[in-house]
Amino acid sequence: MNDGAIVIVEDNPDDLELTLRALRHHHLSNQVVIARDGAEALEIVLGEEAQAPALILLDLKLPKLSGHEVLQALRRETRTALIPVVILTSSIEDEDVVMAYESGANSYVRKPVVFSDLIAAVQQLGLYWLLLNEPPRQSGSR
Amino acid sequence: MAPETPAGEQLIRSESLYQAIIDAAPDAMIGVDRAGTIVMANRQTTTLFGYEPSDLVGEHLELLVPERFRGVHPEHRADYFREPKPRPMGVGLELGGRRADGSEFPAEISLSSIQTEHGPIALAAIRDISDRRQVEAELRRARQNADRAAVELRRANEELESFSYAVAHDLRAPLRAIDGFSQALVDDLGDDIGQGARGDVARVRRNVQMMSEMIDGLLGLSRLTRSSIEQTDVDLSAMVEESIATLQAAEPHRQVDVRIEPDLVASADLRLVRVLIDNLVANAWKFTAPSDPAMITFSARLERSTRVYSIEDNGVGFDDRYAEKLFAPFQRLHRMEDFPGSGIGLATAARVVRRHGGTIEAHSEVGRGATFSFTFGSTS
Repeated sequence: MNDGAIVIVEDNPDDLELTLRALRHHHLSNQVVIARDGAEALEIVLGEEAQAPALILLDLKLPKLSGHEVLQALRRETRTALIPVVILTSSIEDEDVVMAYESGANSYVRKPVVFSDLIAAVQQLGLYWLLLNEPPRQSGSR
Repeated sequence: MAPETPAGEQLIRSESLYQAIIDAAPDAMIGVDRAGTIVMANRQTTTLFGYEPSDLVGEHLELLVPERFRGVHPEHRADYFREPKPRPMGVGLELGGRRADGSEFPAEISLSSIQTEHGPIALAAIRDISDRRQVEAELRRARQNADRAAVELRRANEELESFSYAVAHDLRAPLRAIDGFSQALVDDLGDDIGQGARGDVARVRRNVQMMSEMIDGLLGLSRLTRSSIEQTDVDLSAMVEESIATLQAAEPHRQVDVRIEPDLVASADLRLVRVLIDNLVANAWKFTAPSDPAMITFSARLERSTRVYSIEDNGVGFDDRYAEKLFAPFQRLHRMEDFPGSGIGLATAARVVRRHGGTIEAHSEVGRGATFSFTFGSTS
């Protein structure tokens, strides 16, 4: 089990609350850190004292810096280049999907409308990225 | 041997013959000597310029030239006398004539020359092209209007598409909140929630689900319109079979007699045709639910060298009078509780067919099944 924090980057308070509910539903013990826009996300993850999170759930449409810009900034930095980033967004525009993968996203998930589907999606994401997936040794972190 | 005729009489005859010929010409004709003096004119000058031929002879040609061209005209005339070959005047230039009342008209002028004992004469045939100019101008205006209309139509379509995309896209977020918090309400109340309230929330969530499907349908529809068509050989028979297999897996208890004409291959866009086939097969599958035994047939026939594909079922069918309505978005011919659906599947199917330049139609009788026939244009 990867017990690092989960960072949720989400500006819509309702979507945020629902994602948090879905996480609580699965009793994940990981600390959850919330960023309400792209700039805040970079402060949290790239800040001086920052510990590398286990997983970042990243929306694309964000104030200040878009999800694409956040992702590109994270991939440029050695110590955040390998953190698993899952895009969790409303868009399924080919453009967005391709661009996200090109920028180094690990997964791309469309936010389901139906809450039970969202719960299932969050469960699978948690299961896969926190439990099954073997992350690289965090040589870059302090 | 012809009888001898005096030379003078011969001249008179040939001159009157000559005059008769130029009077019969449809254009106004003017003969001018080197100095620019009019030495002859035909009858048409009366209608064209408002001068009798007799008024013109002896006058200077400049009389008939609009003032703004007068400065350059002597030079052009001198040029012509240096090399007097028949040719149109001022090719590519705007030419005009000046009438007796001072008004102008656009003209087309052709030049030729004759040799006389008094020296060379330049002959100009002048035609009023006001009508042609007007028609040309109208044609140009009509073309511009048509071009502008086409551009506006394209822009309006693009705007509509991006609008429907944006609407569909942005509608999902509030919908997600409605569904999520309805469920949250049930969770938070736990056992305190009454049966009635629980049922109400279930209704809310069912409607959210339906709206979400409609939005996805709209999104799909707008994406269909925006993507480009890439034609490859598509095995329609195999595609129908896959569609059926998927539906059968979702409803394993259903018994449907499926007959597929093998190896029906069409040149079409693979991705779009999959959407088409999925929608038509799902439609047949859905509406044969009450039929026992249920039957779905996929076949093709040739109609005036066009391949027509048909998906036929023995389901509940529909009233043929409303057949056209089927292909409009959100148009339903059955009640929701009987046959649920987003009402966008057949609109999507029709759009795929139309994007290939083909046609789609539906025929049915209530209780006797339905047939959906489509083509991919007249060359497939």
